[in-house]
Amino acid sequence: MTNFNPFLIAEKLNTDVKNPNSESWVFEVQKDGFLCADFLQTDASLDVLVVLNGENAKCHINCAYLVNKNNKININIKVLHKVKNTLSKQQIKGLITDSGYVNFIGTIEIPEYAQKCNGLQNHRGILLSPKATVSATPQLEIWADDVQCAHGSAVGPLDQNQLFYLLARGLPEQEAKRLLLRSFLGDLMPKDFDELISNWMDKNV
Amino acid sequence: MLEIKNLHARVGDKEILKGLNLTIQTGEVHAIMGPNGCGKSTLASVIAGHPAYTVTEGEILFKGQNLLKMKPDERANSGVFLAFQYPVELPGVGMAQFLKAALNAKRKFLGQQPMDAVQFMKYMNLRAKALDITSEMLKRSVNVGFSGGEKKRLETFQMAMLEPDFCVLDEMDSGLDVDALKLVGKAVSVMREVHRSFMIITHHDDLLQYVQPDRVSVMREGRVLITGSAELVKEIEAKGYDKF
Repeated sequence: MTNFNPFLIAEKLNTDVKNPNSESWVFEVQKDGFLCADFLQTDASLDVLVVLNGENAKCHINCAYLVNKNNKININIKVLHKVKNTLSKQQIKGLITDSGYVNFIGTIEIPEYAQKCNGLQNHRGILLSPKATVSATPQLEIWADDVQCAHGSAVGPLDQNQLFYLLARGLPEQEAKRLLLRSFLGDLMPKDFDELISNWMDKNV
Repeated sequence: MLEIKNLHARVGDKEILKGLNLTIQTGEVHAIMGPNGCGKSTLASVIAGHPAYTVTEGEILFKGQNLLKMKPDERANSGVFLAFQYPVELPGVGMAQFLKAALNAKRKFLGQQPMDAVQFMKYMNLRAKALDITSEMLKRSVNVGFSGGEKKRLETFQMAMLEPDFCVLDEMDSGLDVDALKLVGKAVSVMREVHRSFMIITHHDDLLQYVQPDRVSVMREGRVLITGSAELVKEIEAKGYDKF
């Protein structure tokens, strides 16, 4: 097996989960609820909607994508802060090689009545081949005025100065790249996915 | 140890090294001095094999081998070490993990068994202690959140860990206070041995107050103009580079 798309609901409290089809997830986090979900996508698209439906509801959505060959996937993650005092954090990181294509759309929506919300979205992609492509569209739909929101998106090749530093210390190129990419993904993904990620790296980096 | 003949190198369309000749003997501490922009740091990068620089002419022999034919990691594992002027940060890569990977890459290259975790920790702690590197510094990511002085001390620590035959120190003294300079100087003095050479790149004599060079070369406009004894440093400090 080369491709895989595991997910893990690491923590869940007062949260309703719907899974209308294999690629779609809808989470409704109720009052004082919490959701932490991890997704690792290789060859399937992902569509996540999180509705923060009660005060003090919180969610962490972590997504990593590892895309190779001619695989083309959509990653669509939307968090709707439906009531005030809710908190969301989306972290999305990915590696794309060969002719892989990722279309990422990340949305934070906060209606005008949902004050004192805190929304964070961070997306970073590393292109490992000249034909690899990522289209990233971060969308902030913020209508409330007393909220904290931050988002960032950066896509590019591996940092050549970092790579050279490792080469200049004697690490062979492949080992140096793997070390940098593992540290890039860092602890975003749960330990359960380590072996899958290592296997992917062994074949694609 | 190192023999450079008629070296020409460019970055993009710009020629920076224009026929440089330089010989560094085994066991020699050789200072390279020269004004900003004369090509000192380019020389260091070319020796280490930085891909941004293209060598268009000339050769570099390292222990008799054609250095320019070797990949950067092969150069490092053959004994070339570059202490960077601006060490890059590697977030998420722990110093110990990084050094163990580097050390074992070298051992593999030399056909030796890799060090296991216990051997490695012993080896590292011994060298850390000698160079006043705390265990707290070793637990952090490589160069992340360190001051300029600490980063350069960590460069010399890496040098002590990897025990290279030829150490290139690229402007290690820029931006260092006296205490940090002394520590860098101490690292060089501790490692100074008959089988090891140093190339110390600098544009003033700060570091050279703590490390006595055997030879000094003055660079200007991509060439070595003159090579002499340590007396040359005093002459430069007294009269400036315009004399050369």
